[in-house]
Amino acid sequence: MSEVKKMSETVTLTIDGKTVTTRQGNTILQAARENGIYIPTMCYLSKVEPIGSCRMCVVEVEGVEGMILSCQEKAVEGAVIRTSGEDLFRERQNIMKLYDVNHPLECGVCDKSGECDLQNKTLEFAVDQQTFAAKDQHRPVKNWGFISYDPALCIMCEKCVRTCTEIIGDDALAIETGGYKSTIVNTRDLSDCAQCGECMAVCPVGALVSTDFKYTSNAWELEKIPASCTHCSAGCQLYYEVKHTSIDNTEPKIYRVTNEFEFSTLCGAGRFGYDFENREAKRDPEKLEAAVEAFRKAETIRFASTISNEEALLLRRIAEKTGAKLVCDEARGFQRFMRAYREASGRNLPTADLEWIRRSRVIVTLGTRLYDDAPMVKFAVATASRREKAQVVYCHPIEDSRLQNQVTQFVKYEAGSEEGVAALLAATLIDKAKAPLELDTLLNGLDIGYLSAESNVSEEELDRLKLTLWKRQRFTLIVGEDLYNHPHAENIARFLAAIENYSDFKLFIIPPASNTLGVSLICDLADEAKGYTVGVNTPGEFVLSALGDGDLDLPAMNQQEGTLVNYEGRVVPTHPALPYGGWELADIARELGLELEHVIDLTPQLPKEEGFRAVAFDDLPDYFDAVGGEHRGYLLERQERGEALRLPEEPEELESYDGTVLYRCNPGKQFSPFTAKTHQLKEEAFLLGSAQFAMAARLEDGDRIRFVQDGIEYERVFRIDTAMKGTVAVNPTFDRGLRSFAISSYRFSPVKIEKAGKADE
Amino acid sequence: MSLEQFKNRNVGTQEYRMLDLEPTPETGWGRFKRVVRRSVKLELFTGLKVTFREMIKALFMGEMHTTKYPFEKLPIAPRYRAIHEMKRLLESGHYRCIGCGLCEKICISDCIRMDTRYDENQRKEVSEYTINFGRCIFCGYCAEVCPELAIVHGGRYENASEQRASYALFEDMLTPLDQLAQQKEYPGFGAVSPDADEKIKKTPLAY
Repeated sequence: MSEVKKMSETVTLTIDGKTVTTRQGNTILQAARENGIYIPTMCYLSKVEPIGSCRMCVVEVEGVEGMILSCQEKAVEGAVIRTSGEDLFRERQNIMKLYDVNHPLECGVCDKSGECDLQNKTLEFAVDQQTFAAKDQHRPVKNWGFISYDPALCIMCEKCVRTCTEIIGDDALAIETGGYKSTIVNTRDLSDCAQCGECMAVCPVGALVSTDFKYTSNAWELEKIPASCTHCSAGCQLYYEVKHTSIDNTEPKIYRVTNEFEFSTLCGAGRFGYDFENREAKRDPEKLEAAVEAFRKAETIRFASTISNEEALLLRRIAEKTGAKLVCDEARGFQRFMRAYREASGRNLPTADLEWIRRSRVIVTLGTRLYDDAPMVKFAVATASRREKAQVVYCHPIEDSRLQNQVTQFVKYEAGSEEGVAALLAATLIDKAKAPLELDTLLNGLDIGYLSAESNVSEEELDRLKLTLWKRQRFTLIVGEDLYNHPHAENIARFLAAIENYSDFKLFIIPPASNTLGVSLICDLADEAKGYTVGVNTPGEFVLSALGDGDLDLPAMNQQEGTLVNYEGRVVPTHPALPYGGWELADIARELGLELEHVIDLTPQLPKEEGFRAVAFDDLPDYFDAVGGEHRGYLLERQERGEALRLPEEPEELESYDGTVLYRCNPGKQFSPFTAKTHQLKEEAFLLGSAQFAMAARLEDGDRIRFVQDGIEYERVFRIDTAMKGTVAVNPTFDRGLRSFAISSYRFSPVKIEKAGKADE
Repeated sequence: MSLEQFKNRNVGTQEYRMLDLEPTPETGWGRFKRVVRRSVKLELFTGLKVTFREMIKALFMGEMHTTKYPFEKLPIAPRYRAIHEMKRLLESGHYRCIGCGLCEKICISDCIRMDTRYDENQRKEVSEYTINFGRCIFCGYCAEVCPELAIVHGGRYENASEQRASYALFEDMLTPLDQLAQQKEYPGFGAVSPDADEKIKKTPLAY
């Protein structure tokens, strides 16, 4: 019995006379690609399940009649496979002939020309004339906001539809079937589609193209610069595509952003928000002198976490030299939270990664407005929901209708009661048999009635959650920014660590901003800015700003090299796409007597005790292999300590807010002033609330209002969002410039709203 | 081919013949007599006859052979590769260039550059186009690669300019609209072959 069950982990087969070994469960195509054997495909996209609409990948298997689809058929032990030959060539040539029927001969003006799958395969299979006839259809071009769709060029490979449903989870694209008349349709109105541009990235022809980029450059003219996206903590792989601005202006300009779409994904902010560079910076020795002087007398260096690891280390070195304190408002709460987590779990980093989320059967999210905070995590949840039929339990005070495709249970709790919810989750999810006695006593002693009454999470909801876990495996708990600045963040972290240690749940922690995780590992942060403050991308007495509005300019993240730590604990490199003419932090550090030539000299000096490796920047790999293995930078070393774990304490009285409560959150494609600065993403910031909120706060759609949140004065227009529910309104910060990097308070806050007329006055 | 005639170095046996010339006078008197004889016989005018004939033809019969360059220019061979011309469509008068960028790509001296954009009619429009004639080597690749026969070589061969690098813009090279009727097809590399019609494979329309 055991011998039958015991299956070999790998299979060995012969492809084109070459003996190859692959993992059990891989398809023939994957086995071939792993070993560098070429099988042509048209509709195959590595990151989604095989589509099987093109039939180009057919191969012959010895002993099997007919042709086999290599993208769907699993590799079998001992199979002998032939991938090329005259009959296969003719089969594939016929497929190409069909693809080419009535395809407009406009390669000359098509944006895809030069990187087009159809163009390449048409030449590869020597199709030089049309032998089939079909009546041409009138197919007008459609404009879907950032994306335009030309149905005449579409080959109906379905890559875009699959990506939209399986990876993004928006279900915005669908196929309108009708034989030769079939087209792709956008079923959502534009505001409802995430406008991530992934459909456009995976399109093998020029059918889906960027409206902004359209006809401005040919693919072969652009230089691809490998980089990492710096808008949020995902640090996604991307290429800045650069060319001279125009005939009159030879300065390089970023024309578009592309990515390794076969294996990785980008959100709308990453794809369309790329021109946030600091252009006008000049080298003025007097200004540098003033900056050095400011650093010398600074008592506090305050910085934003949109910074590379190297610059964060540089600031630490400067602070050690001058005796200043380091303050990073975005990272301080997170650092405290992570230290508490570390103390309680014995690990330096949580255990779940994105691939685990994609394979999870049950996902619980707590304290994050997932859709806006971390698009990549949301995409992974959507994939799990689609592929694994995952149960998604979304715990948050504000319901999000944009997630209705994925969320199976919405648990609404009162703003401020996160500690209670974490305790209730611990009581529900922790396997009491595994838990140590002390924890068991604590959980049994919890006043469930009080907690559930105060947090508004009913015991029925918790029972339903408990039922969800039954007969399922692979659980993930995703937590986010709401928790890190909670007054009892440390106790919440201990509850979460307990859940991770004593249940089957793996934890995923979403850092609040770009490189917050890196900053929290590298710098020892003080609580608040005191005395004379130098602000690095934050307000202060002397301001260094990459937005170009400070006392000294700094390079923006697309103008500098360095590494970032993303939410998976991966140290990813990024390279400069555009030149920068001003001073940078390294110049100031040199003036202050630190010895370094480039900022990246510090890459090997990043703290080893936090898991960094002593690898020079230029030795960091930055690529995906043929089957999608990610070789970008390296993963931080995981450290584990199995004992002396600190247990949570019983929650004290839970906080609650009365009156008008606002939630600090940037919408969809906005993350910071850097995304707001880019020409495609420029938009006005509104306070968005439900009709219920409007009634409670006595506001009407279009009212101009004034209020103070987190110490920042706002004057903006209120809009009713009909898709929203509940009594909490969402207030963005992306239009507040550098001040938005200096917020360290809890995300929910009660405010007093003053009316100041109507929007159009 | 036989090399016999090159190997025969005995020049004395070749077909030379002596001219029937009077001997050159050796004394002063003899020379004086020859001058008088030649003057009286008006031999000079025998030679000048041809000159006078051509002069009369040129001055009075309109058969002048001199070209008053640079006011006049001789026609140049049609396949000569000189300064580029941008052609227009004969029917609409719209320029032919579609902005595909192939000339820019193929140019081996990297002297062509173009800016394109998405225009109001949802078409690709060439917003700027330049050729740096200071760098151009007139190889003709651009004309050969052009799928629309939009960029061709013209006959303007004077490249002297006051500036070291002399650029030309799209408008400078474009056929003026009022001269559209005189626009000629380019016969050089990349032009349609005379038997193009027979070579075309037609798309089947049987549906």
